[in-house]
Amino acid sequence: MNIDKKEVLRYLGYRGQKIDDSLAGLLDECVSEVRTVSNLGFTYEIYDIEGNEEGLCLKGTTLILRGRDIHSNLAKAEKCAVMAVTLGLEVDRRIDFYTRADLTKGLIFDACATAAVESCCDIVQEEIKARAKIMGLETTSRFSPGYGDFYIGIQKEIVRALKTYEKIGLSVNESSIMIPRKSVTAIIGMQNEGCDTVECKCGSCEDKYCSYRRDRDYE
Amino acid sequence: MNKLFKNDEFLIFDGSMGVLLQKYGLKIGELPESYNIKYPEIVSNIHKSYIAAGADVIITNTFGASRYKLKDSGYGVGEIVKSSLDIARKAAGDKLIALDIGPIGQLMEPYGTLSFQDAYDAFAEQIVEGAYAADMILIETMSDIYEVKAAVLAAKENSSLPVICTMTFQADGRTLTGTDPITMVNILSHLGVDALGVNCSLGPKEMIPVLAEILKYSSVPVIVQPNAGLPALVDGKTIFNISPESFGKYMAEMAGMGASMLGGCCGTNPDHIRALKEAVTGLKPKRPRVEKLTAASSATATAVIGEGIKIIGERINPTGKVKLKEALKNDDMDYLLKEAIAQRDAGAHILDVNVGLPEIDEKEIMVKAVKQIQGIVNLPLQLDSTNPDVIEAAARIYNGRPIINSVNGEKKTMDKIFPIVKKYGCLVVALTLDEKGIPEKAEDRLKIAERIVRRAEEFGIDREDIIVDCLVLTASAQQKEVQETIKAAALVKERLGLRTTLGVSNVSFGLPDRELLNRTFLTMALASGLDAPIINPMAEDMMNAIKAYNVLRNIDKDAKEYIASRSSTTVSTAVKEKETVRDLTKIIIDGMKEEAAPMVRQLLSNHEGIDIVDNYLIPALDIVGQKYESGEIFLPQLIQSAETVKNAFNAIKEHILQNAGEGSGVSKGKVVIATVKGDIHDIGKNIVKILLENYGFQVFDLGKDVETEEIVKKVRREKAALVGLSALMTTTVKSMEETIKALRKHCPDIRVMVGGAVLNADYAKMIGADFYGKDAREAVKITRKFYGCE
Repeated sequence: MNIDKKEVLRYLGYRGQKIDDSLAGLLDECVSEVRTVSNLGFTYEIYDIEGNEEGLCLKGTTLILRGRDIHSNLAKAEKCAVMAVTLGLEVDRRIDFYTRADLTKGLIFDACATAAVESCCDIVQEEIKARAKIMGLETTSRFSPGYGDFYIGIQKEIVRALKTYEKIGLSVNESSIMIPRKSVTAIIGMQNEGCDTVECKCGSCEDKYCSYRRDRDYE
Repeated sequence: MNKLFKNDEFLIFDGSMGVLLQKYGLKIGELPESYNIKYPEIVSNIHKSYIAAGADVIITNTFGASRYKLKDSGYGVGEIVKSSLDIARKAAGDKLIALDIGPIGQLMEPYGTLSFQDAYDAFAEQIVEGAYAADMILIETMSDIYEVKAAVLAAKENSSLPVICTMTFQADGRTLTGTDPITMVNILSHLGVDALGVNCSLGPKEMIPVLAEILKYSSVPVIVQPNAGLPALVDGKTIFNISPESFGKYMAEMAGMGASMLGGCCGTNPDHIRALKEAVTGLKPKRPRVEKLTAASSATATAVIGEGIKIIGERINPTGKVKLKEALKNDDMDYLLKEAIAQRDAGAHILDVNVGLPEIDEKEIMVKAVKQIQGIVNLPLQLDSTNPDVIEAAARIYNGRPIINSVNGEKKTMDKIFPIVKKYGCLVVALTLDEKGIPEKAEDRLKIAERIVRRAEEFGIDREDIIVDCLVLTASAQQKEVQETIKAAALVKERLGLRTTLGVSNVSFGLPDRELLNRTFLTMALASGLDAPIINPMAEDMMNAIKAYNVLRNIDKDAKEYIASRSSTTVSTAVKEKETVRDLTKIIIDGMKEEAAPMVRQLLSNHEGIDIVDNYLIPALDIVGQKYESGEIFLPQLIQSAETVKNAFNAIKEHILQNAGEGSGVSKGKVVIATVKGDIHDIGKNIVKILLENYGFQVFDLGKDVETEEIVKKVRREKAALVGLSALMTTTVKSMEETIKALRKHCPDIRVMVGGAVLNADYAKMIGADFYGKDAREAVKITRKFYGCE
């Protein structure tokens, strides 16, 4: 698992400030601890897409993807992978623990865990890409519930369809919050031709004033 | 029913329901239980096919029939459960029916938002609906031992059927929430389940090591239901592909190891069950004899008393502790947690928890404290109270197998405490005193211990579940009797074979240099067979005495731990020497957390606490705040400084407590803060909290996922004028809005400040908030302005 320190700093609102040795040490410590205590779990399935007036139906399942943004993301896709990734409960436990015992560490630990789960998603995405390639297909970018107008309530249905609780311990509460907290669900389209859908990257978001916005690089 | 526990026959359970339903058209994500109503004949045929294959027990199609999983399905729990039992009853003939109870599918508190009581209620509903026609209750595929405890209690309190429990383990030998086999067995067998074991997740081959561990400890029959191998992804679909023959072969191996109830889980079909039946035909179950342990467990760790010295941390007990008393009165759970963490880090194996104070609701605070501590520290707890109601409430919601402190030789105490010990499967500390007090002579204390054991056995409690405390008397008042305690402990050990504990530090009461006496007494007691001293783990002398004892008694092999502990001591002194005296303002700006308190203590010799706050802390904080806003420092650096100020503040509060008694004396106003119901994100709220505290506000932090009523209650009780609410998700802003409405209704003068990632000023206004804090600094500004501090 690769935890990119630049990403961690971005989540912490870093803007090129001077970092002393003790803070740098704490950052390294958190990166390595997140790696050690993560119990990475992931699962995905690949389904055929059948569009109808209700939305994009995934064949053989009860899942229907609704919303303008997911439609445009999957406009040319004939299949899609539905994936779920989690770092497991121990990471949550440590975050709770450190935010009580040492808030600075808790904060940094939390940011490292966010960077870690994103990087795990990248790994799973690569695996899905490789599977698509075998089928002669290209993949679209990763699209998660909550992006744009993609209804966050679908997380419950994804969790049920993939049986994520039984397989990797990932559940969704009544408010559609995933638990363990450092978890991601996402859809990746598979299509015949090269992917020309806009990469749904941070910088293209409408919230121009977001403090996490990835618009500059700091070394 | 007797067949369930016939010792000379295996009990064969059926295989997967889901796989077969999918063959008959069940879609992925569709509710399998809906087939009980839509296509009962399909479900019935599946049952019959398993019976034809040789199953003795069929499992009802109710795995997901909890109110949470059925929500929005259009079906009720009663409807689904009853229909499944009707189908099973008709199909079963003379075979047995297991009422299937699967996990609710949501994580429980404190990680998730499902409370113990809510889980219990959901399970109880399924059991009440289904028990009438079932032969046993099968609680299966559980990952969370806390959820299992809720389900077992629901089963036992709402039916008289036998209860079987299985948990599902990962390849690392633990469940997804971190429970290992010894902990599972220790908790569940004492909760009184009739059989326990492992299912799902793993194939039969991978399950063998987990099974071996379970068999090592379980005194009840053991069940195994593996998947048909490990899942593999073929053409984008998950499949299981172990052949029935190979499945049967492994099952026979597990039967040979000692499992007596056998079946299949995901991916298995009637062919697997037929192969299993054939493979064990002609074999006889064997029940390995196991040694009974005296062991306490948290959800993820087990401390076996009698294996080495087990240290019970005594710090969470308000007797003689001003700061803890103050924390309990103010509902300051963070203080308790820090004590718990510090004791764990110092090397405690078990923590005693006592919150008895006349001016608080002991039951409410005990339950709260246990919930909080078990969420953060994974050590087993010893629940310490003189009130049986408090003990029962705590034992019920404890996530593990606790020790109850305590029972004694008085009949009426035993008759109140033992039923709790039995019902919740606890260990219990037995004090060797009775109506007549503490006997002088060791032999008489032994007699009381014998009497307690006899009475416990009448309640069905094993003698191994009793830890005897022969009671330490003070050398200043009863010098002669000090050695009687040691003698009594040795007698109890030798004659009754029981484990012993002692509250060591009593011995030195009223004499100078107490540590020296404590340490010497501890060493004497350990040499006479003390297993679990109750001490202050932060007392280095005591801990060192134990470390040394462990070397001399050949417990610490090759003195490894001892040597490691000696070398780390040298390192910490070396670091200390490097520290130099610095100015408090600079300490805060640089975020040197450890240096703040000593510096403040120095200043307190010629400054008032409030002067230090106004002349040092707040000016330094303002500088840090400006640096943060100008981008000179970023969030972790701001928080480092905030934690430094917090340490400075604590030193001031401590000083005031010691000199003036009650109250903090520096409060600039009260603020109640909480993350709203349904939401569990609380880092932002915690940042707001520390900054507000830094500026001298008294903050009542209710935590995360907080019920509206609880917020209203706290505001009223504290007569707070300002509330801060946090919500991170669009879905939980709704509950923020409801909370504001309730506050307006019940506390019309309250002002509400809100914050969280999805909010903005307009949105905040729309849901009825008075103030919107875009970040923690803004929240401080709002609060200071509100309380007229600027």
